[in-house]
Amino acid sequence: MHRSISKRFTGFISSLSNLNRLIIVIVALLCFIGLLSVYSASLNMAGSFFQKVFGRQLIWLVVGCPIAAAIYFLQKKLIYDSAYILYGIGLVFLLIPYFLGSSVAGTARWIPIGSMGIQPSEFMKVLVMLAIARFLASTSYSNLDFKVVIIPTIFSLVPMLIVLKQPDLGTSIIYFGLLFPMLYWAGARLFHLFIILAPTLSIVTAFNFYTFFLWVVVILVVLYLTKEKLWVSLTIFFLNLVLGSATPFFWNSLKPYQQQRIMTLFNIGADPQGAGYQVIQSKIAIGSGGLFGKGIAHGTQTHLKFLPEQHTDFIFSVIGEEYGFVGVVVVLLLFLSLLLLCFYIAFRLKDRFCSLCMVGIASIIGIHVIINVAMTVGLMPVTGLPLPFLSYGGSFLITCFILLGLTLNIGTDKQY
Amino acid sequence: MYISHNSVTNLRKNFIVIFQIVAFSILIGRLYYLQIIKGPSYKGIAEANRIRVVPIEAPRGIIYDRKGQIIADNESQYNIDVIPYELRQTPQADSILSGILGLSTNQISTRIKNNWRGQFIPIKIAEDVDFQMISMLEEHRLDLPGVIYSLEPVRAFPNNVHLSQALGYVREIAPRDLLRSENQGYKQGDLIGWKGVERQYENILKGSRGFNFIQVDAFGREVGRLEDRSNVPPVPGSDMYLTIDLDLQMFVESLVEGLKGAVVVMDASDGEILSIVSKPDYAPGVFAGVVSNSIWNELLKDPDLPMFNRATQGTYPPGSTFKIIAILTALETRSVDPEWSIYCHGQYRLGRRIFKCWDAKGHGRMNMHDAVVHSCNVYFYNLIRRLDLEDWANMGKVFKFGSETGSDLYGEASGVMPDVNYLNRKYGEHGWTDGNKLNLVIGQGDMLVTPIQMARFSAALGTRGKLVQPHVGLKYIDRKTGRMNTFTIKSDSIRSILPSTWEFIETAMNDVITGGTGRAANVRNVPVFGKTGTAQNPHGEAHAWFIGYMKEPNQTIAIAVLIEHGKSGGGIAAQIAGKILNFIHQQTAGQLAVNSASVNF
Repeated sequence: MHRSISKRFTGFISSLSNLNRLIIVIVALLCFIGLLSVYSASLNMAGSFFQKVFGRQLIWLVVGCPIAAAIYFLQKKLIYDSAYILYGIGLVFLLIPYFLGSSVAGTARWIPIGSMGIQPSEFMKVLVMLAIARFLASTSYSNLDFKVVIIPTIFSLVPMLIVLKQPDLGTSIIYFGLLFPMLYWAGARLFHLFIILAPTLSIVTAFNFYTFFLWVVVILVVLYLTKEKLWVSLTIFFLNLVLGSATPFFWNSLKPYQQQRIMTLFNIGADPQGAGYQVIQSKIAIGSGGLFGKGIAHGTQTHLKFLPEQHTDFIFSVIGEEYGFVGVVVVLLLFLSLLLLCFYIAFRLKDRFCSLCMVGIASIIGIHVIINVAMTVGLMPVTGLPLPFLSYGGSFLITCFILLGLTLNIGTDKQY
Repeated sequence: MYISHNSVTNLRKNFIVIFQIVAFSILIGRLYYLQIIKGPSYKGIAEANRIRVVPIEAPRGIIYDRKGQIIADNESQYNIDVIPYELRQTPQADSILSGILGLSTNQISTRIKNNWRGQFIPIKIAEDVDFQMISMLEEHRLDLPGVIYSLEPVRAFPNNVHLSQALGYVREIAPRDLLRSENQGYKQGDLIGWKGVERQYENILKGSRGFNFIQVDAFGREVGRLEDRSNVPPVPGSDMYLTIDLDLQMFVESLVEGLKGAVVVMDASDGEILSIVSKPDYAPGVFAGVVSNSIWNELLKDPDLPMFNRATQGTYPPGSTFKIIAILTALETRSVDPEWSIYCHGQYRLGRRIFKCWDAKGHGRMNMHDAVVHSCNVYFYNLIRRLDLEDWANMGKVFKFGSETGSDLYGEASGVMPDVNYLNRKYGEHGWTDGNKLNLVIGQGDMLVTPIQMARFSAALGTRGKLVQPHVGLKYIDRKTGRMNTFTIKSDSIRSILPSTWEFIETAMNDVITGGTGRAANVRNVPVFGKTGTAQNPHGEAHAWFIGYMKEPNQTIAIAVLIEHGKSGGGIAAQIAGKILNFIHQQTAGQLAVNSASVNF
């Protein structure tokens, strides 16, 4: 029995391509650093080993590996064929918490299972990506008009609106964010991407008269340069104008905590007890780490609990404090190499669906990393996004392993 | 599987790759800024985050009298603190605590709210509680988690002496005083000497605060001691000795009790104040801990001004005691011969005004000596008309009337020594007449002095011209070096006055005691010299003065007694002076006996 498992394992390893081995090494290193940091962050928590955050994270990792392996062995055809069905099932699961009336942390993110819960919105990240990839695979690179572009946009907007209602700003940014690299990769016109992105920017800039004015000027310049049909230009222009003007009214209907989180973007540090407190303590933790850090389990900010959410969204601050500049640069370079590898593979893949999947996977991971790190160093608002492979959290870690499995699966396309 | 052809362009691939590299470079740049450039400053912030500095107040230096008896030392005051989080764990804790402290639960929660610094940070809810409360808290220890008490040193006065205004008091520093340069290093809420010795010798008496460093977590909960930083123990202030003689001080205070007035007893040769009393006063213990507003208001609004130091801040007309200045002027300017005499009918007519002698029957023929002994006003009315007012005023200024004595008692008044300029300014050049002169020569009118100035005047007469600077600070033991430092006090000498003049004054002042107005101040076997004064007071009974000195073999004791509304200097003021001088004489005689006994043995 033992023998057969080890045999299968060595067989599995030897069947991998060199690139895939490299990806596994990078992910293993990231998981190891994450485990150390979660261990450090959970040192002073009460409870027995497996009740503690560290013990649970270990379980998720152990569960994640066979899941990744299983996905590695899946037929690509099966993935392609079931993409829409899975997307539909995902939407249903996304709505379940609303009917359950779950009240964990006052949000509708969870489907409770025993003493724990799963977050369908995490798995949905993969399903949105697959659905978009499948749709775009059926189009051709050189002929992507706006009617075609609108379908993937709807694929990402529907779950995004459900998740925003939960409310979960971070996850909705992922659904929306992964759309752009994939459309770009698929050959969408930049002008079409601009049209999709414009409403978001109209909303963001509408909080200040001058920024909104500037943005309106930018819209006009872009419309003039692209020399579109007049009715198209006018529609786009007035649509954005109306959206921007309506934003202040919409703002007032937001929950105070949502307002607070968004406001922190513009005024970091104004309220040390509120949302800004997290960013301030995170910057102190990272800054005080210096070049080499304070050492594993020696971070004062971490162990004296000055850092909020230190094992989940702010795990990067723990790394910054305990391993210093050297540690964070190593982590960022690992992530960057992982992403570049993904894009390298995506470029070389012959199959459009596989290539788009690879870009989607890299986008999901890349957006998480950039926003999460930018948030912990005070360059972006606190949006509640975890760090792939490092942050504590079952649903997200399993999602990351699903992404890993997909990467390995798609990366072994014989159609190079 | 092959669905459709992947035909992404190199341009688009490269753009995405460059975009990622740029984004990661920005993040690494930001981390470089935070960790390398700003690293040291964030290290400091992280340290401050985790370290709570708990100040430990230092006791002030002990104040001794000249013989080493304690005037003021320190005792521990118990304060009660609560840790809000722990207190909330037991629901009935609030009501138990309110029962013991005698505060309503509302009051307790208001105090907690007002001083709130965190769930786990102790908050002071009661100060200076008595031992009974502490023992009751101990009994309920198990029902009252999170209730702790802390010790804070406060002033204590183990001996029954008052010395109130001279000693001063300690209070929280006022916000405006925080801005003064000499108060650098004080923080809001610090204690500082406000009046008297406590203020004058603040730098000697104040201790330096100690600090405990405690590691806390984000909730302010203590998680242990710091390994890399040791606590700083508080250093008490330096102990100091006053020139005050505690036994004498208590005796004098008992004499003046119930009266209004001031007494200054001083060593004539060096200005060491042996006793300084201003009544009414207050027990200094009222300022020991927290001063309730009711006590404050009571003291501040008392019409008898118990906070006011009559000895240094009270200005009074000197009355007849000031006639000595006229004698000195007459003899020194040689304008009048001591044997020159007038006949006193009990009054003196100046134009249409009549100036009365204090004895309506009249003193009969008076020469200079007799006029001093019997304090005959009529003689001095005649005398001043033969003197230049400017000469008289200058003689007053030689003894530094009209200016502060420069003592170490905070807030001295300077009094008024009127001269021609002064009168011109006040009344106009032709607005004053000889009538003003007649008033001035008997120490009335615009003339104003403080009792401490009069004590110095007595000392100058007793030492034939030594002008000492009165002081209460004697020496202190430097806490850092352990060495005794004695304060060096400057003194001036008046050299211009002839020995024959001193001789004359001394004889006359001695005769005041032996057969004149100051008989009540006599001490058997010791020569006492004095002058009484009765200063008219438009607001009521006259103020009674006695000034003088006593010549012990080793020491000359100068004294000034002022009793407000005491009617006559020869009465109550001289009596009090007599008792004081007798007390001192017996004290020194006793000491001499002890000394000789030990020699014989």
